Amino acid sequence: MRNSILFLLILVSGYASAHSWTPTYPSFTTSHVEGVVKTTMTLWNKRPDVEYYAIDVTDTEGNPLTFAPFDKVYRVAYLQKETIDIFIRTQDLARVTYICSRSLFINSEQNAILSRICSKVQQ
Amino acid sequence: MFRILLAATFLSASAIAENVPINGTVEGNCIVVPDTSGVYGNPSAGTLSTASTDGGVLPVVRYDVILADYYKAVITTPTSFSNSPSLSDTVAWTGSAGVHEVSDAGMSAYDTNKVEYNSTTEFDLTIAGSVWFEMESQAVYGGSKPFPGGNYTAIVEANCIAK
Repeated sequence: MRNSILFLLILVSGYASAHSWTPTYPSFTTSHVEGVVKTTMTLWNKRPDVEYYAIDVTDTEGNPLTFAPFDKVYRVAYLQKETIDIFIRTQDLARVTYICSRSLFINSEQNAILSRICSKVQQ
Repeated sequence: MFRILLAATFLSASAIAENVPINGTVEGNCIVVPDTSGVYGNPSAGTLSTASTDGGVLPVVRYDVILADYYKAVITTPTSFSNSPSLSDTVAWTGSAGVHEVSDAGMSAYDTNKVEYNSTTEFDLTIAGSVWFEMESQAVYGGSKPFPGGNYTAIVEANCIAK
């Protein structure tokens, strides 16, 4: 009971410094371009020490796959949510496994914790 | 006459009343919350360590998972400095990660079931709730030399990977 209350309090009180990347299991649907499929991810930045996030799309082994937009670094201000459309080639659909977002530190001069969250593509 | 009208109004109101559905979806979500930035202590001239016995501060990161068994935490301790004075010799790195605090008593099993390889530790997040992990990191300068004076920075990588 005490633990449940503690967890609820944490959820209700908000996050002093957090990184969230959803959905957990995205799926690709057809896009307006032939041979290209699309999914939409949401990045939530509640880390005051982070302003930039990198996106990567990989296969099961972590090998990078080509995706658009080619601009893989996003500036997401503190307390902002960013909706990001990810496009891949239909031919890569069978290989794509993870879509990840990773916090970036520009000229960090203090010990830091890099956060990276990976969603798993629903086949 | 008024009473009849009032009764008719109630009857007609109940006739058009409908159930209003409230829909909700609980989705899996992992939130990574850096809790404490670590500090390297300098117990000897050639050693930097986050252990409290060495004068350091352990970095702590919290993972919040809404649903059980959707994610695993993969934590990698540093194997290089992200910022340091120029170093002419090699640095030997050791590191580990362990459970620091839990919101559910069952999460204490995470330590028993963790998988370690190289500088990485994996925890299967099988219970919904919050868990705090602390990381220990030690850097020893090669040839028993003292570290050059200056500021040293290293980065811990806290991954949350959907299963």
